[in-house]
Amino acid sequence: MARIKVWDPFIRLFHWSLVILFAANSLFVDDDSKLHIWVGYAILALVGLRIVWGFVGTPHARFADFPPSLKRGMAQLSEMATRRKHAHAGHSPLGALMIYNLILTLLVISLSGYLMTTNMFWGTEWPEELHEVAVAWAQISVVAHIAAVFFETRRLGVNLARAMVTGYKNM
Amino acid sequence: MRLTPKSKTPKGVLLLIAAQIICAVFFLSDVIDDFRGYGATALYDTHILIESASAFLLWMAILFEIRLFFGLLRRTAHLESSLSIAQAAMHDVIEAHFESWGLTPSEQDVATFMVKGMSISEIAALRGSAEGTIKAHMHAIYRKSGTHNRGEVLSLLIDSLMEDSPPTNETT
Repeated sequence: MARIKVWDPFIRLFHWSLVILFAANSLFVDDDSKLHIWVGYAILALVGLRIVWGFVGTPHARFADFPPSLKRGMAQLSEMATRRKHAHAGHSPLGALMIYNLILTLLVISLSGYLMTTNMFWGTEWPEELHEVAVAWAQISVVAHIAAVFFETRRLGVNLARAMVTGYKNM
Repeated sequence: MRLTPKSKTPKGVLLLIAAQIICAVFFLSDVIDDFRGYGATALYDTHILIESASAFLLWMAILFEIRLFFGLLRRTAHLESSLSIAQAAMHDVIEAHFESWGLTPSEQDVATFMVKGMSISEIAALRGSAEGTIKAHMHAIYRKSGTHNRGEVLSLLIDSLMEDSPPTNETT
């Protein structure tokens, strides 16, 4: 058992602010309010910073550390099927796919939400429809993400949720 | 020509499962909406009941497919990529035995490595678990197959391979 530093303070702050802001906007804040728009801008800014951090950040925060790869995702599924246990220090391959999915979905939500506020798309329906479909997809993804964190924590014996709070994985 | 068996990773199945999960989420949320809208009276509505039953069956089908998919993944993981048809057939016979003994997926994995002649420490490294865990798996394999050691497991398998082989050239 070694205590490995995995997530830097920015990643942790990013993760939990995103949790709060996304939960606020999708569940609590009135859709037509000014606050909804400002929270949306904040999410867009956070995601933008995360993308920059993916190129210049600490080792496990970089996209190069978790390239999107279906092949490695399949390998992880094979490990589950054969009950082999190889924990990953940074994002696991399937975890990485979820990160890319969430980043892209949040970009679609923010940009379609922004388009709804512009004069150019006044009266057109598709930005709003896209916004709603993307939000539903993000909510499904969040549920899948949480379920996967529980499942992988149990499977590998490495507490992933705690690592996102403390920054360290015991493995 | 060297014949190779199909042991590609079943990506198509995965795609199918993903598509079905999306449909199933949609149908399930529809059913939940209906029950919210109609309350207890929904229980007397044939249409809603049929809808609920279909959604339920779809989820069952997905669970079944995931089980099947994991079985395929195990087979692929245990078959090395360049095996000949004959070796793959032999592998299938061995795997059938593992299943008839009622080995769990972990035990099947350990038994496969064991048959290939790997040491306990090698298997532990490959599976990312402690040597004690591997020993416990091996004891379970011996208990379930009615053997006492690696040699007996191997003779059991070889024995059955020779018995099960189809009769050839009996007329000559």
